[in-house]
Amino acid sequence: MLNIRNLHTKYGPISVIRNVSLHVDEGETVCLIGANGAGKTTLLLTISGLIKPSSGSIVFDGNEISGMRPERVVQLGISQAPEGRQIFAPLSVLENLRLGAFHRHGKNREENIARDLNEVFRLFPRLHEKREQMAGTLSGGEQQMLAIGRAIMANPRLLLLDEPSLGLAPRLVDTIMDTIKTLNNRGITILLVEQNAKKALKISNRGYVLETGRIILQGKSSELSEDSEVRRAYLGKDYKEISQRH
Amino acid sequence: MENDKVEYLPEDAWRQWHTELLQSTVNRVYERMPFYKKVLDEAGIRPEEIRSMEDLKALPFTSRTDLASNYPYGFFAVPLRDIVRIHTLGTSASTNPIVLGYTAQDLNNRKWLTRRFLVTCGVTPEDIVQICLDPGMAIPGQDLKEGAEALGALVIPPDPLSTKTRLQVLVDFKTSVLITTPSYARYLMRHLVQNGLPLASLSLKRLILVGETLDEETRREIELGLDMETRAGYGVSEATGPGLAYECPCKCGLHLSLDHIIPEVIDPCSGQQLGPGHWGELAITTVTTRSNPLIRFRTGDLTRLNIEPCECGRTTWRMAPVRGRTDGLLAIRGVLIDPADTSNLIAMWAGGKRLPFLMVLSDKDYLTRLELWIAINEEIFSGSLPHSTTG
Ligand SMILES: Nc1ncnc2c1ncn2[C@@H]1O[C@H](COP(=O)(O)OP(=O)(O)OP(=O)(O)O)[C@@H](O)[C@H]1O
Ligand SMILES: [Mg+2]
Repeated sequence: MLNIRNLHTKYGPISVIRNVSLHVDEGETVCLIGANGAGKTTLLLTISGLIKPSSGSIVFDGNEISGMRPERVVQLGISQAPEGRQIFAPLSVLENLRLGAFHRHGKNREENIARDLNEVFRLFPRLHEKREQMAGTLSGGEQQMLAIGRAIMANPRLLLLDEPSLGLAPRLVDTIMDTIKTLNNRGITILLVEQNAKKALKISNRGYVLETGRIILQGKSSELSEDSEVRRAYLGKDYKEISQRH
Repeated sequence: MENDKVEYLPEDAWRQWHTELLQSTVNRVYERMPFYKKVLDEAGIRPEEIRSMEDLKALPFTSRTDLASNYPYGFFAVPLRDIVRIHTLGTSASTNPIVLGYTAQDLNNRKWLTRRFLVTCGVTPEDIVQICLDPGMAIPGQDLKEGAEALGALVIPPDPLSTKTRLQVLVDFKTSVLITTPSYARYLMRHLVQNGLPLASLSLKRLILVGETLDEETRREIELGLDMETRAGYGVSEATGPGLAYECPCKCGLHLSLDHIIPEVIDPCSGQQLGPGHWGELAITTVTTRSNPLIRFRTGDLTRLNIEPCECGRTTWRMAPVRGRTDGLLAIRGVLIDPADTSNLIAMWAGGKRLPFLMVLSDKDYLTRLELWIAINEEIFSGSLPHSTTG
């Protein structure tokens, strides 16, 4: 579904994504893990078209999308729930969700939007309760739900999630993870960036490990979560290296 | 991806998969292994310049000497505490052995690869699998045992028993699959016939032959003589073990485990990469190995690649049965022997004197034997040389 080859992204002269190749097959949940500053957000933004890559190719369903305008990318079926719950604070929950469907058109537009709105409210009953409330007054967890809900309103086939569990209480993290699994079961393909590597590996099929803009390791999530190196670096198991290499 | 599904990936999926695996492997060895950082720097290659499988050609080779000269832990890409097992290969007098380590993941991969090899060769959980391999093949023997256990077969592991006892086990324990070398299979066949054992009453229905090339003539002889199916496997101890390549029911080349390695055939003299269909030396790049990743490891085995999809549906490339060696090593009953090491060994026995010798391969009773003919003079014969220990 998504095939990325030799992607390079720079901020000015500084290379942030260096020769990244990765793929996501239809129906998969793939996670991307890596330390702060590794380039995870930059990679997602490059896929969404919000940042232009300096070179490389991003093919989605056979279409080259690298360098495309973000609206086009959304129309093709990729939608991103941004890091840090960038919602529109002064607008209501409902208005925020409707904004997510902004780029949709075609016959039965209104019907389809109404159906998806119902779907979002079924996934997140809390959003239904608070649908008239100003988004800025939602709790952190609710804002996160709203960000995901808004991404779903674009009716994506590929959903990019950037740290959906950031700053949430453990119980809420589990709820969000369950929701991601549910979304995947309903046929949405997911590329997930998570600081909570343990949880992300649990709900994904495969994973890639990004280190200073380069992919250093990849594999089935079940294997990565057992991997000593991954555990040490990303699963919070005693970071310090005790043994000597030579 | 499911272990078995991966063997049927379409070509463009393989290309994506291999590009990713090659890139992450080169990134990793560059960051984690001073040896590869040095050789890549010297070759003027930066990891981010690897854009496709085509760029594999630009990377330097790795030899057995590189492995041995980084004795003991210089070739490890992970800290020692991540290693759960170690094997040494090639204990010779003159050079250090090759030390191979395995992380838990490495061992698991080897086990699943071996399991896939055996399943593809028709082994089922109902089978009674007897493994007869010489102690020189202890490492693949262990891998095969674990792979057969992983698929749920009943396993009779390799043992140092006499041929007579092995035959008794074969008959009494109702062995249905025998894993051994082609030469030992012929030897056993001969014994079975000599001892007048009714072949028809054997439970044996399948031979899986490893360690040596199974040429067509030997295959026919065994299949006709024993009236059973044979399948071949190919492995490299330094790389992913016995599941590296194996035959499907079509028996038209050995399917390479492309999800764990990237194979190439090169001109052994110039090092040039050769296209599909050309005979040359097999070089292997491991793409999942964590402990001792190898970039373009020169196996010394002569083969050629077939990249066409197989009739069985598998899209994994196939290699022809190995036709010989490019490095002067002798492969005898699955063990590689270096004439230079033999010379050193003789010199050790002869108190440091280099003696002329001949290595003679004979086929006594169908079992390949290595005879050593050493030219001695009176000085040695009379025992006037200072005696060194014989080991
Ligand atoms: N707009 C920008 N201009 C310049 N540099 C930037 C910009 N955005 C990010 N960077 C730099 O690019 C690198 C990668 O940042 P990115 O946000 O992609 O990392 P990340 O993996 O998402 O990290 P985190 O886990 O902290 O979210 C960092 O070094 C960051 O400082
Ligand atoms: Mg980020």
